[in-house]
Amino acid sequence: MGKYFDKEKLELLKAQFDTAEYDAEQAEPAIYIGKEQLLGLMRVLRETPTYAFDRMSNLTAVDYKEYFEMVYSLYSRRFDMWITVKVKLDHDKPEVESMTQIWEGTNFEERETYDLMGINFIHHPDLRRILMPDNYDAHPLRKDFVPLEPKIEGGVLTWHKQKSMS
Amino acid sequence: MAQTEKYVLNMGPQHPSTHGVLQVQVELDGENIVGAKPIMGYLHRGIEKLMESRTYTQCVPYTDRLDYVSAMNNNLGFCMAVEKLASIEVPRRAEYIRVICAELNRIASHHVFIGSLTNDLGSATGMIYAFRDREKILDLFNIICGARMTAHYIRIGGVAADAQEEFLKGAQEFVNYVPAMLDEYDRIFTGNEIFQARMKGTSIITRETALKYSMSGPNIRASGVDYDIRKIDKYGAYGDFDFEIPLGEQGDNWDRYIVRLKEVQQSANIIQQALDNMPDGPVMAKVPKVLKPPKGDAYHRVENTRGELGFYIVSDGSTKPYRVHIRRPSFVNLQALDSMCQGMLLADAVTAFATIDPLMGEVDC
Amino acid sequence: MHSGILYSTAQALREILMSLVGIPIIVDIIMTVICATILLLIMATSALVFTLGERKICAFIQVRIGPNRVGPGGLLQSVADMIKLMDKEDIVPKGIDKWLWVLSPILLLVPSALIYAFFPFDDGVILADVNVGLFLLIAITSQTVLPFLMGGYASNSKYSMIGGMRTVAQMLGYEVPMVFALMGIVMLTGSLKMSAIVEAQSNVWFIVLQPLAFLIYIVTALLESNRPPFNLVEGESEIIAGPFTEYTGMRWALFFLAEFSNLMCIGILTTTLFLGGWHGPDFLPGFCWFWIKTFICVLFYQWVGWTFPRLRIDTMLSFGWKVLLPIALINVLLTGVGIYIYNIM
Repeated sequence: MGKYFDKEKLELLKAQFDTAEYDAEQAEPAIYIGKEQLLGLMRVLRETPTYAFDRMSNLTAVDYKEYFEMVYSLYSRRFDMWITVKVKLDHDKPEVESMTQIWEGTNFEERETYDLMGINFIHHPDLRRILMPDNYDAHPLRKDFVPLEPKIEGGVLTWHKQKSMS
Repeated sequence: MAQTEKYVLNMGPQHPSTHGVLQVQVELDGENIVGAKPIMGYLHRGIEKLMESRTYTQCVPYTDRLDYVSAMNNNLGFCMAVEKLASIEVPRRAEYIRVICAELNRIASHHVFIGSLTNDLGSATGMIYAFRDREKILDLFNIICGARMTAHYIRIGGVAADAQEEFLKGAQEFVNYVPAMLDEYDRIFTGNEIFQARMKGTSIITRETALKYSMSGPNIRASGVDYDIRKIDKYGAYGDFDFEIPLGEQGDNWDRYIVRLKEVQQSANIIQQALDNMPDGPVMAKVPKVLKPPKGDAYHRVENTRGELGFYIVSDGSTKPYRVHIRRPSFVNLQALDSMCQGMLLADAVTAFATIDPLMGEVDC
Repeated sequence: MHSGILYSTAQALREILMSLVGIPIIVDIIMTVICATILLLIMATSALVFTLGERKICAFIQVRIGPNRVGPGGLLQSVADMIKLMDKEDIVPKGIDKWLWVLSPILLLVPSALIYAFFPFDDGVILADVNVGLFLLIAITSQTVLPFLMGGYASNSKYSMIGGMRTVAQMLGYEVPMVFALMGIVMLTGSLKMSAIVEAQSNVWFIVLQPLAFLIYIVTALLESNRPPFNLVEGESEIIAGPFTEYTGMRWALFFLAEFSNLMCIGILTTTLFLGGWHGPDFLPGFCWFWIKTFICVLFYQWVGWTFPRLRIDTMLSFGWKVLLPIALINVLLTGVGIYIYNIM
């Protein structure tokens, strides 16, 4: 894996965005940013010629029980350079700007994250479930997930909350 | 006054040529395609969720089931991600054996590609020839690990067992056979007039589209983008080998086919070099019986047969991963299907499904 | 008069019947029924033989072994298949046009069976040697389009519908060049009678005199019988099985039977029109030569079929209209000029 984003450049970004922060102790620190400034930061990373992060290599979310964390792994083909951007989201109402506004290829990955983790992507062109059935009302990758009971009602497969085990 | 109407054709999930359980909603005007929407999830097994309740070692067999025609590459990706997380140094000999297995599996996977492509073009004969040669590789896997498809041979810290003399000899024999094999393919299908007429100039993915949709693997290389993670990241032992990245010119079906055919040759080159310079030594690093990687996260990507396969693993310091995310190349590549099919005929849609080479085990995960 | 074992056997049979019954019309009727039965039996057995043959040949081309479990060397495989097909559940899908759907496979079999009446199997052995034999043949074979369209329309399935539509488009593409290609033969023979066409080849086969027409005929014959590389109608990787996607069991078997009967038909037609029919060296009787040539033709068509990928419909249509038709017209012109030169010499 190529080189990681320089600390000087991280410092520059920190000056530019007041919510940006990183752990200077780590060798390859992820940059944390407030969700309001995420889109701006991503635009800078993509469009500044000295960064040129043209590939959204990986996009996913992690459920830390108290909060969600969006993880973006960006890669610059021109400079063979990496950066990880992380955003903390509220657990009750996880919402974040859609990256399809900058990288169109994140469409399916955001749909998957929406489907499995329940993160709502604002300004996504086609936010529907992609892997789970359309009438499935739960998000399996969340830590508090309980599988739903399948039931056939009138020839249609429906999903219901399990009755409490006690 | 004649009146025409568009209609929607559901191709799949049960259809002879959608490669597993892919469903594509094709909107048609006569036989001309207006749009194609992939619908997936029929093979969704929740591997990411399942991995959260397994130890790291137990997770490895699940990666076999992702892209089940190139299991070794998936094993490699996951194991390298865990090794990165737990800072495990893999012995040199194990790295070489891993490369041999991964490249053999790449060839086997391209055999499936060639076979299903020719079958989708209406020539079942081509399929049999490709599968006949794939059998040789599967037999080699049978020798080295006892399994043919779901290998589970590459383990965290190395490989399960040292490669036998028989395997290395068989691999050498296969590498010697590759030029004759490719020559035969050229005579059976590559040189065929109808085959070329069906493939050339159809379902073009331009360089821009390929980059826009974050495509990877042979699909993006067919569009002329030099993007091969084996070359960029030089992970494992790939830095030691000298090989070329075949590139296409205009990104049509033909280029996607030719790029894969040339990749088979390059893979054979890599295997040859690995066999020639095979170091001695152990094949397994010292990995603790109970593997507890330190708290943190790691993202590692490898070049699987279909493109950039990434594993993002979060560890909370326990024996089980807290979260595993798999960036599956065929899943991301499928986004281009719509633009590939637009303006083509129904018969071209089938060719497009075949050349974009999605594997539903990986798409649905 | 005619010679040959088959012809003399038939004459002997007729004389026996004549002495038993005595009324010529009734004898004629009985003879016709016997002949028709024999032809139907030939058709049915040929389907069985060709299924096995096709599977074995296909296996040989595809470096496989092929069926080898039922009977010695897999010989009884097609019998087992037939029993299996009869045993299958007859699924009638919802929302179909019942009458058309049921009639389609039956109607498909009618033209494929009917044309056997016009084949000269040996010297004088032809059920209906009508004056417009070739014309009738072409007219009847083009009727196979209708059942396909019926099945495609009636099945209430989009795949079937596309298949049915393709049949019509394809028929328009191949029928015209085929007729113009056969025109050359008719010009040389000066007759549409099938027996006359074979008779005209007693010295030189038409493959020598009409090489262009022969090439066009091979292509169009493959098209007509939906053989690969022109099996667009049932292109299984695109539209499942085209018009017969929704058929199961015996109904599907009828389509299958018609397909193999068509394969044999084009083999027989190639033999009759271009390879001299039953003519051959004297050490074998005429009908033996006829069948040997037919089998070689069928083998050739199968070989082609298992080698090439399928064409796309638009390529096929433009090939038919823009390449085959002009060549066929040129062939007619050349034949005309040739005959003129031959006559004044």
